[in-house]
Amino acid sequence: MNAEPAISVRNLTKDFRIGLKGLKLRAVDDLSLSIPRGQVFGLLGPNGCGKSTTLKIILGLVTATSGEISILGLPSATPAARARTGFLPEAPYFHKFLSGRELVRYCAHLSGVPSDRVEAAVDEALALVAMSEASERRVGTYSKGMLQRIGLAQAIVHDPELVILDEPTAGVDPVGAAAIGRIIEAMRTRGKTVVLCSHLLGQVEQVCDRVAIMDKGRLVLEGAVEEVLERRDRHVLTVAELTPAALAAAETALAAHGATLGSVTHPRRSLEELFRELVTGSRDA
Amino acid sequence: MKAALSRCLWIARITFLEAIRQRFFAFLFVLGAVLVLSSSAIRVFDFGHSELKFIADFGFGGLFLFGSMLGVVMTAQLFFAELDNRTALTLLAKPLGRGEFLVGKFLGTWAVLGVFVIALVGLLGVMLGWRAAELAALAAERRLSPPEFDAAGLGLFALLQWLRLGVVVAMVLTVAAAARTFLFAVVVGALAVLAGQLQWLSQDLLLKPAEAGLGRAALWLLTHLLPNLQQFNLGDALVLAPHQVHDGTLPWVFASGLAYIVAFLALASFLFRRREI
Repeated sequence: MNAEPAISVRNLTKDFRIGLKGLKLRAVDDLSLSIPRGQVFGLLGPNGCGKSTTLKIILGLVTATSGEISILGLPSATPAARARTGFLPEAPYFHKFLSGRELVRYCAHLSGVPSDRVEAAVDEALALVAMSEASERRVGTYSKGMLQRIGLAQAIVHDPELVILDEPTAGVDPVGAAAIGRIIEAMRTRGKTVVLCSHLLGQVEQVCDRVAIMDKGRLVLEGAVEEVLERRDRHVLTVAELTPAALAAAETALAAHGATLGSVTHPRRSLEELFRELVTGSRDA
Repeated sequence: MKAALSRCLWIARITFLEAIRQRFFAFLFVLGAVLVLSSSAIRVFDFGHSELKFIADFGFGGLFLFGSMLGVVMTAQLFFAELDNRTALTLLAKPLGRGEFLVGKFLGTWAVLGVFVIALVGLLGVMLGWRAAELAALAAERRLSPPEFDAAGLGLFALLQWLRLGVVVAMVLTVAAAARTFLFAVVVGALAVLAGQLQWLSQDLLLKPAEAGLGRAALWLLTHLLPNLQQFNLGDALVLAPHQVHDGTLPWVFASGLAYIVAFLALASFLFRRREI
């Protein structure tokens, strides 16, 4: 197994000059990050925290003020590194006059897929994002969810090792978001590294192995999802048929061992779980 | 190299498909066609010019005016559409060099202008051929020599105009690569085309003895850096008086046009290299 991380960012800083006076706005502040291969990595943070800027710098779309970045052991911003990377930008826009298939074929050619492999690669990518049936329709007629899925197809058509997804579920309904979540999981199964920027924290928690949280351009937390979410000083017991007498007895027993009962509540399912339970089998095609 | 060429051609192909759908293209093409067709209806007001020259001048003028407008506006529009609609984000995140992107945009836009030139020159050729045949019959009745009209010369003229528009596209792409807004690119691009078209004025001024100064330095720069777009206007000589063009003229014009295209594209790539998308 290759020991090089999928993405290595060291002391990355990005300043934007704004206005006529050239005032400095620091978008990314001394960020260091290592994203291991074969994992789904969530990059989180409020709007304007520097996530998208970081992704753009990684892809060479924006120049860093200082710092070093490598992708799969290669210097970032080189065509060789980009050939092994797929990218879905936030709120993607594609040429409306192309059909979904034409768009993915166009991107396959630009991504260096050999001519004799293009059609097979296009079919495979369309199938993975469940867009085969709608692939002959013009992109201009697609719903938001379909646009995101065709955007995913163009990002993965060249079978990249690293896939960077910037808000892939923005504006997509819960069913569509769940479908995108399944695609991300399918990519992980295939051994891809996925970097996911999203505000859908529930989904991030579900699909990501590791997360990093940024605020005001700085990294405030990074680690495995299980590790960062687990509260080791608290415990949850799920009890069926809890009568008031049983609760009182449990409280007494706990107190005898120096433990305190913090709260007693009914477990809840998330609105997303309920929605997906009720609206089953529907696709936004 | 082959892969890079393939990527350029794919960008060109999509640019062409996008451009050919634009209403602005259709609008200017219709205007140009109407101008060429109307030349036969209003030739009675030809102020004593020979009829074929009047029709040809009308066509050449339409091609120059609308071709230049199309070259400036469409180039800037197609470039900024990629940036403003953020399709460039998707494209430039692929193993596509920024120079390849620009060359692709250039080729796609130039191809659309090729369609424009072929269509308008084709129409002009029909008009000129039809009237030349009529005038030749009239001349034969009166035992006069028929007017000269060289269809092959018209083809060469079309090629020259396409080359001139290629220089215009490359020049505007260079401006757009550094410009922040579409409007700035259009205004500066149009001024550059105008300066190239009126370069003979600065050349004349430079020939006159004068003291060295900033104005003279600016004139010198203008004359040496911007292409002389007038050199492509050999329509009259090629179409109506085919023996008036010197042997070395055409190769020189073609070579200088191609050299300017290559130089402008190299400069555009340099300017676009570190642009933040």
